Amino acid sequence: MSDHTPNAFEKVVDFVDERVGLKTIQAKMLNEPVPGGSRWAYAFGSCLLFIFVMQVVTGILLMFYYVPSTDHAYASTQYIIHEVDYGWFLLSYHFWGSSAMVVMVFAHMSQVFLWGAYKKPRELIWLVGLALFGLVMAFGFTGYLLPWDQRAYWATVVGVEIMDKTPLIGDFLSRFLKGGPTPGQMTLSRFFVIHVMVLPAGLMGLAGLHLFLFRKAGPAGPFRGTPEQIKAKTDYFFPRQIWKDIVAMATVFLIICSLAFIEPVVLLEEATPDPGDYHPEPEWYFLFLFQLLRLKIFGGEFGQFLGAVAIPGAFMGLLAALPFLDRNSERNIFKRPIALISWIAIMAMILIFTVSAILNREFLD
Amino acid sequence: MSNAKLGLLVLWPAFWTGFPLKMVAAFLMLAAGVHPWEGVGLEALLVLSIPIDIWALSLCSRTVFLERLSVDPPKGTGLRLWGLWALFSVVYLPLLFMIVSGIKSLAQSAVHATLHFVESNVIVIPIAEKISLELVMWGLPATIVLIVLVYGWLFGLGALAQRFVRASAPVEGSFQDIVSKWDLLRIPRDQPLLLTAFTGTGVVLIMLFWGLIPVSTPHPHDEYEFVDVQKVEKKVVPKKVIKSAEQVLARAEATLKELEKDKPVEDSVKGEKAEAAAEKPAAQAAPAAAEKPAATSASDGPDHDHGDHTH
Repeated sequence: MSDHTPNAFEKVVDFVDERVGLKTIQAKMLNEPVPGGSRWAYAFGSCLLFIFVMQVVTGILLMFYYVPSTDHAYASTQYIIHEVDYGWFLLSYHFWGSSAMVVMVFAHMSQVFLWGAYKKPRELIWLVGLALFGLVMAFGFTGYLLPWDQRAYWATVVGVEIMDKTPLIGDFLSRFLKGGPTPGQMTLSRFFVIHVMVLPAGLMGLAGLHLFLFRKAGPAGPFRGTPEQIKAKTDYFFPRQIWKDIVAMATVFLIICSLAFIEPVVLLEEATPDPGDYHPEPEWYFLFLFQLLRLKIFGGEFGQFLGAVAIPGAFMGLLAALPFLDRNSERNIFKRPIALISWIAIMAMILIFTVSAILNREFLD
Repeated sequence: MSNAKLGLLVLWPAFWTGFPLKMVAAFLMLAAGVHPWEGVGLEALLVLSIPIDIWALSLCSRTVFLERLSVDPPKGTGLRLWGLWALFSVVYLPLLFMIVSGIKSLAQSAVHATLHFVESNVIVIPIAEKISLELVMWGLPATIVLIVLVYGWLFGLGALAQRFVRASAPVEGSFQDIVSKWDLLRIPRDQPLLLTAFTGTGVVLIMLFWGLIPVSTPHPHDEYEFVDVQKVEKKVVPKKVIKSAEQVLARAEATLKELEKDKPVEDSVKGEKAEAAAEKPAAQAAPAAAEKPAATSASDGPDHDHGDHTH
């Protein structure tokens, strides 16, 4: 029998453990096997969760001061920036956090795609992940309007106009979101409610389901090596993957904080239905689509529908159907040339058109 | 193992291991109002990066050597590897930068001339198409050259690391044994202790950060000058307020009486005259409503800009 007499802290831990099962939870979380060993590439999911939690925290703090009315939205955002203690930093963190979330979703989806981790038996994880991707985009879109400056107003006008081109539901969606012929109080109220209530609830539910399905199926592991080789290199979540996750999360946190310092949120003039000298533009992650729509081939009513709705819609549909179309069990990306070339082509296309949209600004000025 | 692969396998984790520590330093500098990308801030960061990089390289090279190559590197490998890599990179990276910049400028001029010729003689290309076309035409050769040169850099780093592989002693045992042994050398077995240490460090850094960060906006953006408008506080004199309220009520009462006097006259007027009277206010209201938003926004403008609102 051990002579060790538990100290006060250990007694508290034992008390909680007896009632909650703390040690079992700890063992289940930290001793999860990672087939083939830990990888930096596996840190994207943890980073996404971390960014979301930080967005919730900063979002709640901003809500203490933000007033979602067309009379006060702009002024209350100014007030947050200039009067509230650390308000400028919280708002800038929240702003850059949303961009970080989009980048991380892209990175996470790319990793899953390249690793072939969407294949059987992980089809549902992929589908729920796609829905989460949609929610992240919706977060960005609805949150962009809230400061009620010219950039916010016109990005929403552009976004809703694109949505309006969707067949059958487009008209309803745009009328529902705007709540009137032009963006106004009803639009702001609706975007605010969707941003702070509907989307967080949806995201929490789907993220929980995503994690549950992931734990059920288990990690896919590396795409190279025989099952025996992968098994021989199997590691546990603690300490290596935990370390990589912590390093990645710290890096993401520090990058967002630094961006908040270097480029804090700058408001333009208060929103008016007259764009004046301002050239309407959506958020940077939609810039490629915006630039694509400037091409002659997408001119006219049908061209705009094709570029804004049909092609992106078909692409999302293809992504959803991917695990059911690609039934080959081969996961090695270097043995899936179509997948590799498609990924490179899409990334190059997004990069080229995003940079083109930035270069296009000087022609507008 | 190929030179380029070995270079990448050591460099990649070493970069990520050292990067957050450098970021912490850079971030604390930012919070204290020192720019880490210029002057004293940059010098301090570069000096601080040296021990961090040596430590990260020691840790990651040993991990790669043990787990991928089953060899135990000699003592001091990290420091010597850092010295060699630093010397090589000091020569190679500026060369890489110069070559890629040269290729980019050359390709841009060639593309510009080609498109100018095409537009003058063959077809006028619309702006949006022209921007993307130009970007692809000069971006493609520049990217290919960049990739080739980065590969060459990794190859060089790997070649320098190979000499340490040759000097290392082979390690017996399975992969699991090596990993466990290496982990036990570095990481405390007590999970809560390690996590508590991490949390503690985080708490200290966060306190340091909130202690340094400016409470109100430091206006670091050139285009975002805050104009501090003096708020005019209206003094409330109850007697005056009551008097003015009484005056308003008296005026309202008088207006009501006048309206009641006019009512029978209006009722007696019938036919076209009544219709004309009913249409008149609507016709007057339309231009007034159209002018109203412009007038409102013009009068509200300066107030909104300075956030001069009651909260």
